[in-house]
Amino acid sequence: MKKIHFILIPIVFFGYVLSKVFQPDSESVKDKFTVESISSTEQNEMKKFHDNSSLRVTQKLNCKSCHSSEYPTKDDPGLLGCPRSEMISVYHSPEEGPETVLINEMSDYYSGVEFPHKVHAEMSEMSGGCTGCHHYNTTGPVLNCRKCHESSRSREDVSLPDLKAAYHRQCMTCHKQWSNDNGCSTQCHTRKGSGSIINTGTSKNKTHPALNLPTKLVWETNSKTNKIVTFFHDEHINKFNLSCTSCHNQESCIKCHAGKNRGDIGKLSRKEKSIEEHHQPCANCHFGNSCQKCHRDKEMLSFDHARSSGWVLKSYHAKVSCTKCHGTKMPYRKVEHKCVTCHKSFSAEFDHKLAGFTFSEGHTGLECKNCHSGGDFTKTPVCTDCHDDKSFPQDLPGTRK
Amino acid sequence: MIYIEHMNNIDRRNFLKTAAIGAASLTLGSATVKAADKPLSDDRIGILVDTTACVGCRHCEWACRTAHGLPAGELESYSDNSVFKEYRRPGNEALTVVNEFENEKNPLLPVFVKSQCMHCEKPACVSACIVGALTKNEDGSVTWNDDKCIGCRYCMVACQFQIPTYEWQKSIDPHIMKCDLCSERRSNGKLPACIEICPNEALLFGKRSDVLKAAKNKIKRKPDTYINHIYGEHEVGGTTWMYIAGKKFDKLKMPPLGTATAPGISEAIQHGIFAYFVPPVTLFALLGTMMWVTKWKKTNGSDEPKGKLPDVNDEKEK
Repeated sequence: MKKIHFILIPIVFFGYVLSKVFQPDSESVKDKFTVESISSTEQNEMKKFHDNSSLRVTQKLNCKSCHSSEYPTKDDPGLLGCPRSEMISVYHSPEEGPETVLINEMSDYYSGVEFPHKVHAEMSEMSGGCTGCHHYNTTGPVLNCRKCHESSRSREDVSLPDLKAAYHRQCMTCHKQWSNDNGCSTQCHTRKGSGSIINTGTSKNKTHPALNLPTKLVWETNSKTNKIVTFFHDEHINKFNLSCTSCHNQESCIKCHAGKNRGDIGKLSRKEKSIEEHHQPCANCHFGNSCQKCHRDKEMLSFDHARSSGWVLKSYHAKVSCTKCHGTKMPYRKVEHKCVTCHKSFSAEFDHKLAGFTFSEGHTGLECKNCHSGGDFTKTPVCTDCHDDKSFPQDLPGTRK
Repeated sequence: MIYIEHMNNIDRRNFLKTAAIGAASLTLGSATVKAADKPLSDDRIGILVDTTACVGCRHCEWACRTAHGLPAGELESYSDNSVFKEYRRPGNEALTVVNEFENEKNPLLPVFVKSQCMHCEKPACVSACIVGALTKNEDGSVTWNDDKCIGCRYCMVACQFQIPTYEWQKSIDPHIMKCDLCSERRSNGKLPACIEICPNEALLFGKRSDVLKAAKNKIKRKPDTYINHIYGEHEVGGTTWMYIAGKKFDKLKMPPLGTATAPGISEAIQHGIFAYFVPPVTLFALLGTMMWVTKWKKTNGSDEPKGKLPDVNDEKEK
């Protein structure tokens, strides 16, 4: 009997060991389960987020834009991260804002920065406006960074970046792409103890340097026919009176500022664009035009109203804005060369002397159409149109003796 | 070893007795070991590296070296971008390094990835260390103890991230070098050096649960910016340092590791066998049985063996 004990004990031990080794790790099973459940709920929430993305267009907010919980309370508001572009913002002109802002709060190694606010504000008009930086602003005064961003890095709520990060993130995204420079003391800061605040004095009255605007841009496309596209930049500004922001309203600063000190990498800054991206800025106005409007087999000539329409704009008409005759809707309405097309309420009060012909007494009773047949005022009527050349001027119309 | 030598000098009855006592005491012993192995705190540290926010200023490298008394040089010298030409790894003179990777979405904004000890939730180095010189602390950090280390460098082999490095250049008192989450600074109420200096707060420091929540929120808010993966949330059973990025992590030279803990399998075998003193007891039980059976056969007599079994030593002498 005792023999059996000695054989059984090792077997029991081995059995125990084996069960211990090959037992499924209960904790890891649990982990896996939670992984799956998290990812599925996240997917749902992501879908919700996409469904709500119309918010961006309409700029309307609902509770869920800011609150994660369905029933937010004062004690537990369940605030989400800043929704940035979904927020409404007030608009201020760059002049209303401060000229410079001194950022000097948390400098351990570097001195503070005098930030030229106005220059940035002016240029921001072309890149989406104030919201680019002031991303959280309901109607009311413009909030500064420290209103929301805590200065302490070890803090309860880690969902918002701290103040130092908030400042840097605003600047770095552009300045980093601009210069590819990691040096803090080359652009904004000076090392503490080595001097005063950088930019002091110089950023006052600082404006963006004059822009070097192109007159004409010519592209050669890959197409076999009509491969040349010409764009007259100056015409769009001077002749058609477009402001910079009518085309450049969602640009990044990098569009102009990239590749300053970058060497080869700078060349990469011209990103490959899709056909849609290429056409989008033009298509806003020219959506009704045929391709041949821009795509030609040779360079286009600059715009000339006389050449393209056969109507020379003289004196009064030269000063009239395009929209006065062609309408504000794009593409411009084609206008017949008839005065009545525009001058619908053309009355006899019109001083015909201005047109270079003084009515004699006998002509005063006539209606316009008697001489200007068919309402075509472009053709100047001559006496022989009405008067038989043989009897003129002896035989004038009407009774005379 | 001592135990086995001691075994040789005792008789069967005593041996069984001692074995039983040993087993019992070790069972108790293992229980006390388990109690000492503190569970991780719910408030343990988590750090999120937002690779889209990192600008590659390398101030963390400078701060880390300064905080650990390593030759750091001037802070200004770290703005030199030429170091990014080569892929670098943390070493015994730089416990953290930042590497640059291409950003296909915008070539002007490269991706920067800081690497250092991940402070695994279930660290392989701690498991591999035969003298307990590496400790997984309650706060989540994994620290190394100079007084216990014998320099076997098993931890270096065990780490999946190949983080611990050895001070080969030192002939006297070489240390195992790796990030210790600035345990000294933290004991003085300061943040780890790299986290404090980061200008963009690309390193988000907080409770692991809070940080993880913030990471998920970021991904949810900007699904175009981030891929839906938090590296370190589940990798090798979870890590203290976690990463979010705009491109796949294997493209950022972060090893695609599974969710299984590295020490999981080996510890299951080793701890399974050695827990409760099973193998020695089993081994000697087997040996004892064999000896007993052989002796019984030799005596060729009654059912029960009579008298005392000869000593093992006696057998050997013969």
